[in-house]
Amino acid sequence: MAHTVNENLLPKIRGFGAFDINACFQCGNCTAVCPLAEESAGFPRRVIRLAQIGWEKKLLSARELWLCYACGECTLTCPRKADPAQFMAAARRFATSRYDRTGLARFSFGSAVGNLALFATLSAVFASLLLSRSKEIVTSHPAFFEFIPGAWIHDIGVALIFLIGLAMVSGVASQILHFRRDRRERSGLAPLAWTDLPRAVAGGLYDALAHVRYRRCAKQQESTPGAVKATGWRAKLREPWAIHAAIFWGFLGLLAATTLDYLFKPIGSYVPPWYPIRLLGTVSGLVCLSGLWMAFQRRCRGESAPPASVFFDWFFLLLLAAAVVSGLAAEIVVYLPRGSAAGVAIFVTHVVLAMDLIVMLPLSKFAHAVYRPVALVLDEWERLSAARGTAESAVARKAA
Amino acid sequence: MERATTEERRTDALVVGGGIAGLEAALELADQGFQVIVAERQSSIGGHMISLSKVFPTLDCASCITTPKMSAAAHHPNIELLTNAEVNAIQPGPEGQEVMLTLRPTYVDAAKCIGCRLCEYACEAEYPDPFEQSMSMTRAIAIPFANAIPQKAVLDPAYCTTCGACLRACPTDAIDLDQQPRTLQISAGAVVVASGFRLSPLSTKPQYNAQRSANILSPLAMERLLAPHGPYGRVLRPSDGKIPSSVAFVLCAGSRDLTLDVPYCSRVCCMYSIKQAMLLSGSLPIADITIYYMDIRAFGKGYEAFYQNARAMGINFVRGKVAKIEPTDSDDLLLHVEATDSPTGALEPRRHDLVVLAQAMLPQWDAAAAAPVARATDGFVLTSEITSPTATGAEGIFVAGAAAGPKDIVDTIAEAGAAAMQASRYLKERVEAAVA
Repeated sequence: MAHTVNENLLPKIRGFGAFDINACFQCGNCTAVCPLAEESAGFPRRVIRLAQIGWEKKLLSARELWLCYACGECTLTCPRKADPAQFMAAARRFATSRYDRTGLARFSFGSAVGNLALFATLSAVFASLLLSRSKEIVTSHPAFFEFIPGAWIHDIGVALIFLIGLAMVSGVASQILHFRRDRRERSGLAPLAWTDLPRAVAGGLYDALAHVRYRRCAKQQESTPGAVKATGWRAKLREPWAIHAAIFWGFLGLLAATTLDYLFKPIGSYVPPWYPIRLLGTVSGLVCLSGLWMAFQRRCRGESAPPASVFFDWFFLLLLAAAVVSGLAAEIVVYLPRGSAAGVAIFVTHVVLAMDLIVMLPLSKFAHAVYRPVALVLDEWERLSAARGTAESAVARKAA
Repeated sequence: MERATTEERRTDALVVGGGIAGLEAALELADQGFQVIVAERQSSIGGHMISLSKVFPTLDCASCITTPKMSAAAHHPNIELLTNAEVNAIQPGPEGQEVMLTLRPTYVDAAKCIGCRLCEYACEAEYPDPFEQSMSMTRAIAIPFANAIPQKAVLDPAYCTTCGACLRACPTDAIDLDQQPRTLQISAGAVVVASGFRLSPLSTKPQYNAQRSANILSPLAMERLLAPHGPYGRVLRPSDGKIPSSVAFVLCAGSRDLTLDVPYCSRVCCMYSIKQAMLLSGSLPIADITIYYMDIRAFGKGYEAFYQNARAMGINFVRGKVAKIEPTDSDDLLLHVEATDSPTGALEPRRHDLVVLAQAMLPQWDAAAAAPVARATDGFVLTSEITSPTATGAEGIFVAGAAAGPKDIVDTIAEAGAAAMQASRYLKERVEAAVA
């Protein structure tokens, strides 16, 4: 079978942040030390190899990209200081930019300047769109939707979600198509059975929600001699997976609160702070924020793995933090006795940042929220079919 | 306490180090009529080589090659051996090089000691024998090892209980517990630095957990296990005396690893590991022997054939860097390695009952701190001229063997001869210049 070699693949991925990967001499230390690498999904070395030989299609089909949680164990022990963890992150950025059909991801991941320019443009566009229908600021009581009509915000939001949803679906389609093409080209694989799909989806999503693999990552770090041993529940809360879980579940809570608010509560109507949906939003926001705070602390103390030092990582976390903080601030404003220009400004900022966040879904580190669960499902599916294949051949052998 | 006065001496050449490089250089110079002093840090000459079992690729007995050299040097009329000698400084002076030495006290008068070992038999203070890599015990006063030269007892004050048993046992009253360090200033026409290497500590790579298992060995310990007069007289594993059934050699366990600050290749590990694997398959015919390697560097004469022989003999070669070693409850060891030469990249941890780590070769002595020679980026003595590999850049100071960089025995001996030749020419030119 003919395969195309992209001789610029390695330089290209280096451009996404894997600056030291040229030093790699394929010793396999990274894969052997990795707590998540398996016989059927060996990384980082095999993924680095794909980049070195320029096999772009194979690299883009590698679900291993998304099975890595960047614990940084490989980078700590790499005899060539080639920083495999950073390579994996850069390869994920590369894949995100390739899966994306809008062409904007290349821009947003191309450079810090490009990313900031995109962010500034989007913010300006959303702000001016919102303000184009603005009215007088009411000061007698806090009233956001008398300043900007709720329906207008809603319309922009729906249009945005629709467009970005399309972009995201096409990205995932691209991811799956790469995976399928690669499976077709390999021989001797057990076929994927559709009957396994529901179990694969359930298994993959459970892994994503419960951070099953992410937790294995943390265990490994503890078992490494010389590493600071985490003891007690306070230390447990500071493990990378716990921090991620706080941000992740906090974010899901906020998403749920916003959706429920829209479904069950008239826009702009007053509810007390203990109203269940409002309470869910507040608690989720605080959980998310505390996770973000710990993530920033780890980064500032230099405790986090190398990929966390990169601009794209910082940018996404800062954007998320800004959206959450402005949301919580807007909530405080709602319960003030009077409205003010500052209060309205906080509200508009929050809406703009939330819209930025939606647009950034396929174009930033945020994309992992979609590509990773898909990869987990595909991995689970692959695993189920391999098990089925082994069982069937055993039965066949018995029959013979 | 009375301060000992510095004794002053003169010689044609001084050789730092009494290992195979130093002995070879000393013998070459002495045979040409020069007076040579060999300053050896330890209590016996012979260096690392005298503790080896056999040498590659010929599988000659190492002590059968080294002992004659040691003995020739010891009996040569032009050679004086100074053991237990630390070289503190080498400076250019009017007579050539001024070498400052300290002779550590051995608490035994070498002139009176007849090497009868009665003190050793009387001594009851035991400690792990450094010559046997701590796998068996020696006594606080002892002859360093069976074929040590000189055959003089040495007392280690760190382990001595001052019980006085040796004093009573000694037939010649040689034991002198009041012995003090002596300092010497030697004016030497030329100096040959042959200070050799040391191995990086087993604990350098924490992922290997070497402190947690007695069955993770230094290659020098494996040499002793394989030596006919080694600590157990046969190959057993240290933790429980079990006969090993599965032995692993981990190559590049200290070399070519930037996280351990050793970017260079130590050159000899591939070959001595293959040699040890071959010898093991002789003494343990049914054992599985596996060598984990990144590349096999069989560069010397006959080395590639030696490597191919080892493969043909059934020694397993697995390509991949061992990332982690975990001791198990049964004192076995689990090796985490990706077999990068298998099509899928096998990842299952591999179980072995004995593991040898090929540690990095590091300079034994920091010559640049004591002498006007330069230190290369790898820490060894800098030799800048490709056409003159034993020249250090400092006039009258030459370097040979592993002091200049990791090297096998063949190359070390060749280089020692070259250094002696350079030193000889330098000394002759000095004499001619003085006459003219």
